[in-house]
Amino acid sequence: MKVVPFWGCMMPLKYPQMELAIRKTLPNLGVELVDIEGFTCCPDPIYFKGRDKMNWLTIAARNLAVAEETGLDVITMCSGCISTLKEAQYLLAEDEELKFEVNQRLKKINKEYKGKIKVKHVTVLLRDDLGMGAITRSVKRPLNGIRVGIHYGCHLLKPSQIMQVDDADYPQILDDFVRAMGAIPVEHKERMLCCGKGCMDDELPLEMTESIFSAIDEEKADCMGLICPTCFSSFDLGQLMIARKKGREFNIPVIYLFQLLGLAQGLKPEEVGLHTHRVKPERVLQKLVG
Amino acid sequence: MEKEKVVVNFRFRERLNKVPGGKHHNYCYQCSACVASCPAARFTKEFNPRVILLKALLGMEEDLTGPDSPIWLCTNCYSCYERCPQDVRPIEVIIALKNICVEKGTAPENLTKLSENIGKTGVSVVITSAVNRIRQELGLPELKKIPIEELKVIIE
Repeated sequence: MKVVPFWGCMMPLKYPQMELAIRKTLPNLGVELVDIEGFTCCPDPIYFKGRDKMNWLTIAARNLAVAEETGLDVITMCSGCISTLKEAQYLLAEDEELKFEVNQRLKKINKEYKGKIKVKHVTVLLRDDLGMGAITRSVKRPLNGIRVGIHYGCHLLKPSQIMQVDDADYPQILDDFVRAMGAIPVEHKERMLCCGKGCMDDELPLEMTESIFSAIDEEKADCMGLICPTCFSSFDLGQLMIARKKGREFNIPVIYLFQLLGLAQGLKPEEVGLHTHRVKPERVLQKLVG
Repeated sequence: MEKEKVVVNFRFRERLNKVPGGKHHNYCYQCSACVASCPAARFTKEFNPRVILLKALLGMEEDLTGPDSPIWLCTNCYSCYERCPQDVRPIEVIIALKNICVEKGTAPENLTKLSENIGKTGVSVVITSAVNRIRQELGLPELKKIPIEELKVIIE
């Protein structure tokens, strides 16, 4: 199956270990990534959109127009990118006048957004196109006994009217992904809390992050599993900030779920870039058998 | 006792209506569903999406788009959008208010710092020599060229 990856900025430029994990694990599931030229930042749905919504929508429409030329579906690996691209599609389908205005701008570079393309998050591709069974079949070293405290993050799910991924209050998509690797998704009471990164304040994001770690710690998880690079920065580097500012040390490794998949598929920790994380994943590696 | 007179500033509401997503503020009937699921409201009393919507309905421009506006505490989590029975899309109204702050020059300085790179280079993150080195070490392909010239033509 051929898909066009929309990498965005955070993964290739800040956390390339996540791009690495995707590139190593998807071919084992029969997915061929067709890299194309011409994408820019999605653009970011928080700060850039906060600055100028029309510019935000126009750049998103340009990216979609570039992808449309390939005739292939697009997958995104980043929750921010999926949020921007799906919302842009929704707004442009909902409001003809807005679409006209955006296309007037795109005309200047000989592009047009037609709205004929499917964009989906990579985990939706796993669930709906490949089936979670394909994951289990690709596993060479099941992650038996490894307890994963899942952090869903906000933008994969909400608003469900646009994202149409799962129940936004009690989602299962990532739980099923973790189960398919043989690991145990751990219920915790802050499962749906926001990481707080989008809040322009020094204190609030740390309090939210601390709350989430407390909940995961209470359930004795071996790691946190997530899919969003922005959440990752809140939690990996964030743990050092909590230790420094609040004096609490959690030492809970934060792992992008495709890095976990890499381990389950038999890759070495360095082959999915786990050595680049601030909080080292020793707890998880000790439990790995074989 | 004499009742306090309420004067609605419809001019500001008209301005808000013109920003994409702004006009949905008209649908708010103040039920507070947004507050119940708002993480920022849970952690600080300074932020309350229902009050922000009430002030939008009253056209209280200074409170919402002045230098002390609470809107920047929004975590952008979309819970209010998820919950709202009236399709107000409170977060989108808040983002529309942010756009007005930018026009007025009252947005926090940090916002420019966090977003200006896209207009200059086409990506949100600064590309450092370190990242190219790390990508090479990890065996990742070279970064594709970013068509920044095209962006400069379509953004205003």
